[in-house]
Amino acid sequence: MERFKASLLKEILLLLHDKVGLLLMYLMPLLLVFIITIVQDSAFRLVNENRLDILIVNNDKGHLGDSLVQSMKNAGSFKIDVKKGIDERQLANLTLEGSKLATLFVPSNFTQSLSSNSQRISNAMLSEFGMETEPRSNKGNQNAIEGGVKLIFDPVLQESFQVTLINNLQTMISGIESKEMIRQLYADMGYDEIPAKILKELNRNRTKIEAKPAMSGESAMIPNSTQHNVPAWSIFAMFFMVISLGSNLVKERLSGSFVRLQTIPGSFLHAMFAKITVYSFVALTQLMIMFAIGVYIFPLIGLPKLNLPSHIFPFLLISILSAMAAISYAAMVGTYAKTQEQANGFGAISIIIFAAIGGIWVPSFVMPDYMVMISKLSPLHWCLEGFYSLFLKDGSWDQLTGPVVYLIVFTVLCQFLALWRLRRQHYI
Amino acid sequence: MTEQKNTSHIIKVSGITKRYPKAESNSLTEVSFDVFRGEKLGIFGPNGAGKTTLISILSGILPKSSGEVHYYIDNQSANFKKILPKIGFVPQDFALYQELTATQNLRYFGKMHGLKNPELEQKISSLLAILGLDHVGNRKLASFSGGMKRRINLAIGLINDPEILFLDEPTVGVDVQSKVAIMSLLNELNAKGTTMIYTSHHLREAEDFCDRTLLLDNGKIIAEGTLNDLLKQHNAESLEDLLINLTGKALRD
Repeated sequence: MERFKASLLKEILLLLHDKVGLLLMYLMPLLLVFIITIVQDSAFRLVNENRLDILIVNNDKGHLGDSLVQSMKNAGSFKIDVKKGIDERQLANLTLEGSKLATLFVPSNFTQSLSSNSQRISNAMLSEFGMETEPRSNKGNQNAIEGGVKLIFDPVLQESFQVTLINNLQTMISGIESKEMIRQLYADMGYDEIPAKILKELNRNRTKIEAKPAMSGESAMIPNSTQHNVPAWSIFAMFFMVISLGSNLVKERLSGSFVRLQTIPGSFLHAMFAKITVYSFVALTQLMIMFAIGVYIFPLIGLPKLNLPSHIFPFLLISILSAMAAISYAAMVGTYAKTQEQANGFGAISIIIFAAIGGIWVPSFVMPDYMVMISKLSPLHWCLEGFYSLFLKDGSWDQLTGPVVYLIVFTVLCQFLALWRLRRQHYI
Repeated sequence: MTEQKNTSHIIKVSGITKRYPKAESNSLTEVSFDVFRGEKLGIFGPNGAGKTTLISILSGILPKSSGEVHYYIDNQSANFKKILPKIGFVPQDFALYQELTATQNLRYFGKMHGLKNPELEQKISSLLAILGLDHVGNRKLASFSGGMKRRINLAIGLINDPEILFLDEPTVGVDVQSKVAIMSLLNELNAKGTTMIYTSHHLREAEDFCDRTLLLDNGKIIAEGTLNDLLKQHNAESLEDLLINLTGKALRD
């Protein structure tokens, strides 16, 4: 026990002396989690809180252009600014010069065009029922495109937002078209307007879509940038200990300290065990600090609060397994690297690659299929999968089987390779 | 130079050979010799002769490819595990933690040897005082000169009061004052019974220090005996002459 305590003290003193390593393990991930969460939170808000800024140039001479504008306002999906009397040719410049991400152009004949189409359909339907009516407009045969709206996008707007906007617009125009067609039918049958009872039924019978994230429990966790970024960058931070632990191991090997320990019976394993203990403490404090910031600091600066998982034991298990995987990987790099530069360079680059393919920066579900397969090679992916199950899906044991098995296998493999190498070098 | 002090074996080396993986030739070939209790055995030879490999095998750091090494405690054969706690090792490298203070280094290695307080603290104070480092015990080694680090390197090897001390170039790169301090401490310890196996390129220092000499070249023993006997046998005036006579003037890698 005295040997273990002495080794523990030595490791703590060495760690406290490694200022760069401490900064990399504690400060860098904090900065990253703040910066990335703030940036991603804006994107999440853009999608989830629907704050897409749109300019509507409504040149429609009829009332349906106003209906469209009102529908878009009512949808609450957009931040809308309305202008009138702007020429179609000025639209592109207006979008590029302005702060709006898209401009919707409603032509002057929008109402006329929609009414003509509706009248044409109404006439056709009544004709089918043997109720011939006198056409009230001779423009019913005109092409609908003539009165179509135009949408001009800022080139920076992502395609997914463009598709979302087009779909929203299509739905609203369809609604207006349907209502106009029914109004036309009633008009052709001699009514001035759609009876209030029918109008009420039309509005009431719309099929509702209830959307919510998949969860195994009853937790009310809402996926947001915090729920992704805090665990993701905590994992990154833990694995970045390869710089500190890896170079610490190389230094001890190259300085001859390990050789000296070889001549002291039993001391080498005590030294290694103390190293693992200290770095386990580092990894778990990294997690605690990052999670505490997510819970207590993020809400203070307007970011979503981190909701901790309700299943405590799976949460502890994934945290410990992630820490052990990170330590084992760092130990493996430290035992194989020939110089400190090699350990630092390879260690850092390998973790960045593991992070990139493992879904730390961009979630793996948005990657192409082959990248999703490749991402499974990254230990960070499995740590993240475990935390995703806990943080985003409020996961239970069943959902954690994959990450738990992979992380145990990865840890054992890294430790085996590290011990094999140390044995080959006669340290143990 | 003194004569052999004791005829009881402490180490008996029989035909050890060492070949490193992927090496084209042996680093040591059929090396056999005895080490007697309380003697100061010097192992000399040009670069690449196999001196460090031999010391590493004897101190249990490297495995041998073949051959036998027997250790003795009180004239009884003992296995290596029993002899290991009685071994002190002073490597050529600064095998210490530069980020820690001199005292912290000594305390760490002392505790790894199983030493306990207050004996350990007394031992640390005593070693620091003997080696003239008591005023810098709480300074980090990174701020030490080469000579001071070399003295701490030796102090760590002595922390467990070893019966057998392996010294791989203990005075390389140090000033004359540090060299005198180190050699005088080693002589003092030897006088108290510590057996020493020593390598060095400082041949003048070795002439004064060693009781017996082992000359190695290309992994083989080319001469063994007291320095006086060897000088007479090979008609040489000094250890340097002897080495040049036996190994030639060609430069070694």
